Amino acid sequence: MRGHGFLLANYVPGQSFIHRAPLALKFLLVFGCGLASFIVVDWRVSLAVLAGLCGLFLLTGAGLKKLWAAIRPLAAVLLVIGVFQWWMLGAPTAARIVLNILVCVVAASLLTATTPVQRLLDGVVRAAGPFKRFGADPERFALTIAIMLRSIPYIAGTFADVRDSARARGLERNPRALILPVFITSVAFARQTGEALAARGLGEAED
Amino acid sequence: MPAVTFDRVTVAVETDNTPEPKVLIDAVSLELTEQRIGVIGANGSGKSTVLRLVNGLVQPTAGKVTVDGADTVRNVRTVRRNVGFVFTDPLSQLVMPTGREDVELSLRRSVRNGTERRQAAEAALDRLGLLELADQSIYELSGGERQLMALAAVLAVNPSVLVLDEPSTLLDLRNRELLRRTLAGLDQQIIMSTHDLELALEMDRVLVIEEGEVVFDGGAAAAVDHYRMLCRDGLPAGKPR
Repeated sequence: MRGHGFLLANYVPGQSFIHRAPLALKFLLVFGCGLASFIVVDWRVSLAVLAGLCGLFLLTGAGLKKLWAAIRPLAAVLLVIGVFQWWMLGAPTAARIVLNILVCVVAASLLTATTPVQRLLDGVVRAAGPFKRFGADPERFALTIAIMLRSIPYIAGTFADVRDSARARGLERNPRALILPVFITSVAFARQTGEALAARGLGEAED
Repeated sequence: MPAVTFDRVTVAVETDNTPEPKVLIDAVSLELTEQRIGVIGANGSGKSTVLRLVNGLVQPTAGKVTVDGADTVRNVRTVRRNVGFVFTDPLSQLVMPTGREDVELSLRRSVRNGTERRQAAEAALDRLGLLELADQSIYELSGGERQLMALAAVLAVNPSVLVLDEPSTLLDLRNRELLRRTLAGLDQQIIMSTHDLELALEMDRVLVIEEGEVVFDGGAAAAVDHYRMLCRDGLPAGKPR
């Protein structure tokens, strides 16, 4: 299967100040960027924030290639969104929306590129700790995040494979030939993942 | 060696096509105490069902499966702690983006401290010679490396029984050899289904499964001969066109 480019950047080992920054601060940055995308109304502010985040990303040492790899899978979708919004609401709004999405993606990539997944999961477990008294299992929260991180590239890869087979059969314009196989493969993947987790005793209630 | 026992185990499933449940495993009784046990048989014969019963992934409709005395239905968590399971396709088993992270995920329950967990994961990867590949994306690994990575993630929690469902099916000759050598060096009891008869010949005991029944149970050479005979007898008469 091809097309498994990770939507967010994988962890890149390093010693930059962003690598060493507390996890909570990085979480806050992502949260703040997400929140700001609803509040900021000027595309020039969005552009400045995006430039700042790209600068921070490059300071981590992860490199331009990694940054582009995180953005590239979204390029086609952003183009469609941008053109549609430009047609409906004009160029400044279209630019703001596209830039705000990019801000969120780069901020999230900054977090994943500078934090090992296990540390990220430990953070989720700690953050979900207070819910323990209500019967929640923080480890399951973490496992859910882990599976989400794993599933996005898998489904993206499945879509690329299905699109190629549809193209080979001359069915690339048939939405059923694209959507149904992706749906069925995704359900099968979910079942296999569930079985694999059960076999490893992961996701079971704490002793 | 731990003892895996099947006591008149039947597995039947409801199907849309027949009014009666379809019997996948029919009243099988076994006591598996050898270190290396092979399970061979045609596709759909019930090999995978036998293996999944050992880990509690499939539960018996009738009868009982125990691993070292622990019932796979009543004590499924104990059983899964003791029985590691390796699937045919490692991609459906590896949950995390890199091998190191996947091994660490296996260890999350048993090793709470992050630093100790990292060290334990490195030790588990090093044991199989995978430390250099630890931080590579699982998609960048070869089929054999991926299968070994899945094996490392399972072995990290030190199970006493290792169940492998056709682990070499997706591998080329070189990777198959790599896997074979790795398995030969393990201390665990191994129960493995395979279509690779050379691999089956290295087992201490081999079960031949046909239509949900154990039709032969004994030494590897005799079992492989029996299976070959079954396959020849099952072929349609005449030359293929």
